[in-house]
Amino acid sequence: MERELKVGIGDMKLTRGSGRIITYALGSCIGISFYDRGINLGALLHIMLPERQAQTDPNIFKYADTGIQETLRKLTAFGMVRARTVVKIAGGAKMFEIKGNASFGNIGERNAIKVKQILRAEGLRLMAEDTGGTYARTMVLDVTNGDVVIRTFGKPEKHL
Amino acid sequence: MKIKTYEDMDLQELDVMREISSIGTSHAATALSKLLQKEIRITIPQVSVLGYNDALARIGNAEEIVAATLVKMDQDVEGLMLFLFDLNFADTILGTLLGQHYNSFEEMDQLAYSALEEVGNIIICNYVNAFSKLVDVEISLSVPSSTVNMVGGILTVPMAEYGYETDKLMYFNADFVMDGKNLSDWLLMLPDIKSLNAIMEKLGV
Repeated sequence: MERELKVGIGDMKLTRGSGRIITYALGSCIGISFYDRGINLGALLHIMLPERQAQTDPNIFKYADTGIQETLRKLTAFGMVRARTVVKIAGGAKMFEIKGNASFGNIGERNAIKVKQILRAEGLRLMAEDTGGTYARTMVLDVTNGDVVIRTFGKPEKHL
Repeated sequence: MKIKTYEDMDLQELDVMREISSIGTSHAATALSKLLQKEIRITIPQVSVLGYNDALARIGNAEEIVAATLVKMDQDVEGLMLFLFDLNFADTILGTLLGQHYNSFEEMDQLAYSALEEVGNIIICNYVNAFSKLVDVEISLSVPSSTVNMVGGILTVPMAEYGYETDKLMYFNADFVMDGKNLSDWLLMLPDIKSLNAIMEKLGV
């Protein structure tokens, strides 16, 4: 059976060669896949919030800023070359809309903005995204070819 | 403040929350019973404070589709209330209300969705009313918002909202029993930490 790695919330997994990395039901969270096609190296990061506020907080993968930084550090140690690496993101939904309270639940949008801003600053190429909306997404990265599949409720699968 | 995070609550404080939830759930069951014209009992409520991944493991798999209603509480108690129920629950209710049966959420039309939304509203409002009378606090509720989607994505809403305060969820679950059938539902009442302390103080715990 093909190897499948599961990424929890505020978590990151990476692998090389073959297998799939999957993260389930991204709501306002964002899944960020990194893939270096030169050496078939892939990583999937699942962040929940834009920035780490307490320096002592050990959950580095929970936040976009520290999560992306640490993922890149690890990937670099495994031989990732930035120029070959493509990034895809999914999630950042607004699961509930509360009338008369526009700011409620816009954390997804804030996450998406922050993630893109960090990727730009790191000089990484954002090749595809499936963000926003009002529904959850499951994101699967195929490490053999870098293909990303998005599963949602009541819609056909989507390839990024 | 005595309590800094949900997991700081001791057994006595958790017991108080369970008692409150038991009374709230009973009121919600009575309201549902009136709506459906059926006798409804509840099982003994459980209260749990769990991390996201553990909470999810108890409720189901992350991709399971559930119906959910969310309201925001304001005034004396600030926080969120989230009511979740599964397909079996939804199907039983729709069977009674509309005389229709559904094998999946995808088969449901707008009318079915509206009925489910109404059930969510009734349960949350009755729960909060009972709660505010018991604790003697004023709580104003936002307009409820409902969705049918993956449980994993829904559960991250309160976590993301209070993600900088706590990474635990406090949830109650007491099944409703109708016609001898257990209907599973989960109610997450998530006062912010300041309100939680105020509740405990008010009750003299």
